[in-house]
Amino acid sequence: MIELHGVSKVFPAPNARSEPVMAVSKVDMTIEDGEFVTVVGPSGCGKTTILNMIAGFERPSQGDILLDGEPVLKPGPERAVVFQQPSLLPWMTVVDNIAFGLTLREGKRGVDRTRLDGTLETMGLKNFASHYPYQLSGGMQQRAAIARALITDPAILLMDEPFGALDAQTRSDMQRFLLLVWTELQHTVLFVTHDVEEAILLADRVLIMSPRPGRIAATIRITLARPRHWDMVMDRDFNDYKRKVMKVLRPQ
Amino acid sequence: MGYSPLQRSAEPSQERAPQLRAMVTDDQASVVSKTSYHRYVPWMVIGVIVVLWWVVSALHIFPRLALPSPGRVTRDAYVIATTGYNGYSLLDNIGASVTRIAVGFVAAIIVGVPIGFGMASSKIVFNAVDPLLQFLRPIPPLAYIPVMVIWFGVGQLSKFVLIFVCTIPIIIINAMSGAKNVQETRIRVAQVFGADRRQLFRYVILPSALPEIFTGMRVAIGVAWTCLVAAEMIAAQTGLGAIILTAGNELRMGVVFVGIILIGVIGYLMELFIRTVEQRMIPWKGKA
Ligand SMILES: Nc1ncnc2c1ncn2[C@@H]1O[C@H](COP(=O)(O)OP(=O)(O)OP(=O)(O)O)[C@@H](O)[C@H]1O
Ligand SMILES: [Mg+2]
Repeated sequence: MIELHGVSKVFPAPNARSEPVMAVSKVDMTIEDGEFVTVVGPSGCGKTTILNMIAGFERPSQGDILLDGEPVLKPGPERAVVFQQPSLLPWMTVVDNIAFGLTLREGKRGVDRTRLDGTLETMGLKNFASHYPYQLSGGMQQRAAIARALITDPAILLMDEPFGALDAQTRSDMQRFLLLVWTELQHTVLFVTHDVEEAILLADRVLIMSPRPGRIAATIRITLARPRHWDMVMDRDFNDYKRKVMKVLRPQ
Repeated sequence: MGYSPLQRSAEPSQERAPQLRAMVTDDQASVVSKTSYHRYVPWMVIGVIVVLWWVVSALHIFPRLALPSPGRVTRDAYVIATTGYNGYSLLDNIGASVTRIAVGFVAAIIVGVPIGFGMASSKIVFNAVDPLLQFLRPIPPLAYIPVMVIWFGVGQLSKFVLIFVCTIPIIIINAMSGAKNVQETRIRVAQVFGADRRQLFRYVILPSALPEIFTGMRVAIGVAWTCLVAAEMIAAQTGLGAIILTAGNELRMGVVFVGIILIGVIGYLMELFIRTVEQRMIPWKGKA
């Protein structure tokens, strides 16, 4: 269980003429084990900041972040992260990048090759295993980064706009794939996006953030049946949810 | 993971590999120019310079002593190549210089890279080394010579040490800056997967720093050659620098030119060698 209690984050001013930035203000949230939570909100509202604090990269200026009751002090392998920016290591081939987490944990020889090959196949990267990241398209790089996170079987998956760089079709494939993996492994997922449909389609719960200082403006529980299909997007229920989310994001 | 593969993200077929291979172009070349004339540009430049040199010396604008003709230099080169100079063969002379550079330069890398990394990771190490480094940097190699002779004698050691001292600041500074400028996301990736300090260094910091280390090496190899002539002023019997100095004293300008050209060519070859190793080790340089 992940808990945020009155979490605020203030970034110091870069120079004397500007003010410190209050990126996140008094956020409370609880994410249950195995829950799929999505976060939507306008650009700059503090979504990445919250994710970074849960990941343990940054400490809150105020408030507490608890993981199963223990304060989060540093990053850890039980919380895999898919970053918003390209994050593959350029000096490693695609297969070495995907295996990176396993290599650190089990040593070079401890990596399960069959599993690795399976992942490459599933992610459509089989013929690119020994390419370097710069030889891949942006979407392929992102798929490799997702594979790198999933292959370590993390208890918690923190994903920061992971499908932002993908075309609609691949994005929809990846959503389906992510849901399949999640149904099987039941890890806790915190998924940041600014695509409202994606947020609703994937989530048990959608957190909607307001612009700076970032706050949780509303929480909407999604009770659409699982497994979810992309064509649910056209259902009445789905559109009701969409309208609700839009109302919070764009009042009036 | 035993899930159904993504149907749409199928990979492009590789069946027509031979045809594809034939279509691969040299991107680097097409950015510079549409043709491949650029390959011949260096030779054309050399040709133009030699022709100009020949014309100027044939017109006797300068005294023959000051500017030997290309023919004179070629004849001197031939004589040195066949009978040697100062009682040593040309290969011995080249070998002597290259050995001095190699020993001083490699020692500077072996010692300098860890010092640079130490300075990047520890404030204490930085504060201990930085003043010394900045103090040594502006001192010209010639100024070291008396000190080197008195401390290390007139043998090989003083020459090794001189080249070492002249090149190590460049290596240290580049290694330090490379290790400091690691992208934060990359460090975070390693932290997420639970890397310890050793793994963080091996998988992230060291490879991140490699491009700058190579830049340092390429600058340093040039500096090493400029120090060499200074080093070989220390009572050296052999070496390209020694040849230039004795020939200069004997007013044999043709030989001086041979020495200069050889230093330039060998320095260029060393640069090409480092460049090749660099392309092998960091093919991703400048692309990430
Ligand atoms: N390291 C930092 N130093 C100073 N200010 C920062 C830093 N990181 C983020 N901010 C500020 O905090 C605010 C929230 O940033 P954050 O990256 O969390 O936004 P976001 O919701 O992820 O936006 P986007 O959807 O564009 O990714 C922004 O105003 C940003 O300028
Ligand atoms: Mg963000």
